[in-house]
Amino acid sequence: MSGEAATGQVARIVDDGSVFAGEQRSLWQDAARRFSKNRLAIGGLVIVVLFLITAVFGPHVAPYDFLEQNIMNAFQGPTLEHALGTDDLGRDVFSRMLHGARTAALVAFFTTFISLVIGVAVGAWAGIQGGRTDELLMWISDLIQAMPGLLLVILINTTLRRPIINWFDQLYMQTRDPFFLNTLWLDYVLVFSALALIGWPGLARLIRGQVLSINEEDYVVAARALGCSELHIMLRHVIPNALGPLVVAVTASMGGAVTLEAGLSFLGIGIQPPNASWGSMLEEGRRLWQVFPHLMLIPAATIGVIQVAFVFLGDGLNDALDPRRTG
Amino acid sequence: MATFLLIRLLRWTAGMFLILFVTYAMMFYGAGDPIRMMFIQGEDFDSEDEVVMLALRKKYGLDEPFIVQFTNYLNKLFRGDWGRSIRLQVDRPVIEMVRFRLAISMQLGLAATAIGAVAGIALGVLAALYHNRILDRLIVSSVLFINGIPIFVTLPMLLLLLVLQLKLIDVPYGWSGLFHIDAALPVAVIAIGILPILVRQTRSAMLEVKGQQYVTTARAKGVPEQWIILRHMLRPVLTPVITTLGLVMIGLINGSLFVEYILNIPGFGLLTIEGIKKVDYPIIMAVAVVGTLIIFVSNFLVDIIYPILDPRVRAQ
Repeated sequence: MSGEAATGQVARIVDDGSVFAGEQRSLWQDAARRFSKNRLAIGGLVIVVLFLITAVFGPHVAPYDFLEQNIMNAFQGPTLEHALGTDDLGRDVFSRMLHGARTAALVAFFTTFISLVIGVAVGAWAGIQGGRTDELLMWISDLIQAMPGLLLVILINTTLRRPIINWFDQLYMQTRDPFFLNTLWLDYVLVFSALALIGWPGLARLIRGQVLSINEEDYVVAARALGCSELHIMLRHVIPNALGPLVVAVTASMGGAVTLEAGLSFLGIGIQPPNASWGSMLEEGRRLWQVFPHLMLIPAATIGVIQVAFVFLGDGLNDALDPRRTG
Repeated sequence: MATFLLIRLLRWTAGMFLILFVTYAMMFYGAGDPIRMMFIQGEDFDSEDEVVMLALRKKYGLDEPFIVQFTNYLNKLFRGDWGRSIRLQVDRPVIEMVRFRLAISMQLGLAATAIGAVAGIALGVLAALYHNRILDRLIVSSVLFINGIPIFVTLPMLLLLLVLQLKLIDVPYGWSGLFHIDAALPVAVIAIGILPILVRQTRSAMLEVKGQQYVTTARAKGVPEQWIILRHMLRPVLTPVITTLGLVMIGLINGSLFVEYILNIPGFGLLTIEGIKKVDYPIIMAVAVVGTLIIFVSNFLVDIIYPILDPRVRAQ
């Protein structure tokens, strides 16, 4: 809706049809303006930022060790010593929640990172190659997207966990390297990989679409004529153009990873004890929920609030980064 | 048209085989030896046990190489022999278990779909009619809110509210038929789970239809507004809503997984979790077969129904 004048001034047609010449604003300034008007999205952003800060610093300021048990103090309601009470083993719920935040954030970050790498690579490859390669890759991504993701993740997690742990045992037997003895982090890696496996197709479609639409642009044809490599075109033209939708997709992916991880742990499949996860805390709280409702309420409410925050943030970003909107 | 459908059918069938193959391979090389687990959980064996285990492996056909096992499995699958449960309910035919469990989940799912579809389409139409007014904003943000909250949070929260705080209902537990009061909460929660997709799709389709000239024409001719909505707008709106069937099915599967697990309803979702936790090969495979079948059949149905409902697609 805007025609650019040579002076750097932009003639704008505002929604009501009137025309005014204003200062030129970049896409990002425009987006920031639109975003700041959306109160729900701002609220979402604040909560997500708080969540990330908690994930980084929370475990360091936690009042208790999240594994410290004290059976004498089990099942306390909120008190001065234990802000959110204690669980069935007398562990401090607040400290465990802080650790759960780190678990959730780690899963969100790594899952999104891995899906982003695979998604961009596959999407670019499909878009550039075209033809058979494109068809095959998009067929696979369609398949994965059509399946219920949770079911796939459950299958992958349950079937692959045991052999990998056995394999590490064998490696330890052969090498006696203590690295292979500690397998607690393997749960995390498995969850990241399984979630990334169902996460990449959406991003791949996005990038592929961008590659296809931009390949016809004059400046890309010119760049190619000048001898620029496909990698250069990818990094300099395709990704910057797709940045808006990518930001939205990344937010959605992070939120989705947090939900899926909590869901997996809730079913007893994801991150295993003694590692703390909100999902497994919810599951533990469910056992005696009628007697000690706070043990179920706290993790459930936290997961709900974080999820809603991610959704509102994503929705706000989606509206703000859509260049067809003005105002 | 026929070639289009044939290609789609081929794509979905090939996809189904690929998924079954991968699942079987993951279990064959992954999951661990179910016979060994059947005996002792990773403890020591005496030689006698080893002999019995060999015999059992032979009985279940678990001593054959991978490709042989997989083709055998497919062969039997088509003949209706889905194997027997190894650990969950030892020796019970899996197809019997699946039939029993699926019947319960399908009742839940159909009831939830009916409620979700009526409520979702009505809310979507309302939101579009009051576009950019308070009612629209309210519906859109509530749907966004509901969409954010996972089902394993919604259900515990509702339990706390309805059972502990308001003391409205007893804890619903297990399955006593669809028309028992205990079925109300699970149906409602699953319906809430699929609501956002339906509201969103209906609303955007309705917004598109709203400005069409034939609607204005009808209005100019003095057709009553309700009549315009019901006769002129709803049909073109319902067509794109049908395409969400695949997503709705995913919502139903996810929903039944958690709802049945939490409320201990012996449906297909609970069978899935029990089978996976006990590493019961035939059950896990059956879950994969039924799950992919549901998804692919519903996607293929959309491929068939869509051109029937939308003449523009047919023309292409």
